[in-house]
Amino acid sequence: MEDNKEKKPKTVIEVIDSGPLKISGNFILKDIKRDKETPMGEVWLCRCGKSSDKPFCDGSHKNK
Amino acid sequence: MEHDKSYTGGRKYSNDEITVYWKPSACIHASYCYRELIEVFDPGRRPWVDMKGAATDKIIETVNMCPTEALTWKWNEEAKNQSVGNDQSNHVRFRRPELLTQGESFPEENSVSVKIMTDGPIVLKGDFNLAYSGINKDFREGLVSICRCGASDHLPFCDGQHRKIGFTG
Ligand code: FES
Repeated sequence: MEDNKEKKPKTVIEVIDSGPLKISGNFILKDIKRDKETPMGEVWLCRCGKSSDKPFCDGSHKNK
Repeated sequence: MEHDKSYTGGRKYSNDEITVYWKPSACIHASYCYRELIEVFDPGRRPWVDMKGAATDKIIETVNMCPTEALTWKWNEEAKNQSVGNDQSNHVRFRRPELLTQGESFPEENSVSVKIMTDGPIVLKGDFNLAYSGINKDFREGLVSICRCGASDHLPFCDGQHRKIGFTG
């Protein structure tokens, strides 16, 4: 009936096991602390708290 | 996401003018409340809501920032509630301008906002597909918060631990 309901969301968010959060597709990223707002195609966001490039992942989760 | 209306453990807090309702099960720890008004909303205190901590209008303003229905409010004088528009309360979710990006009204599809909360989680809102621990789910008008501090007991979701461990970032 309604086409809309059948459509898959175009924004795909993936929690990578023991790694970052990958977001791709159509979204707006708003970083409140750093007061930045950016529409981006693909990002990897830190989930471990250790990145020195927050909110992005810099690979620090690997050196536990 | 639907929240069970028959939740248990809800609380209410009143001053002379208004009553604030607290539904812990709906909270995603976006942390607007205590960042805005720690005098009233202090998660480290029991009871955590102190209605004497600020003026009514300031409390209303802060409760309206809550992105979920975890915090809502009502005038004690029932008649006054009739004149409260949806835009003035968070009883209807996702209608508040604060959550829209710069006056841009998102089309139904593809409206995803990713907010990095100060010293807190990533708050995802809108229509998206989320994959985690072998689970793959489509969300419509979803609201999910993902832990950024690494200390949550409910990974990948935020459970409020970031505050206990003093996460900054
Ligand atoms: S960011 Fe909230 S528990 Fe980690």
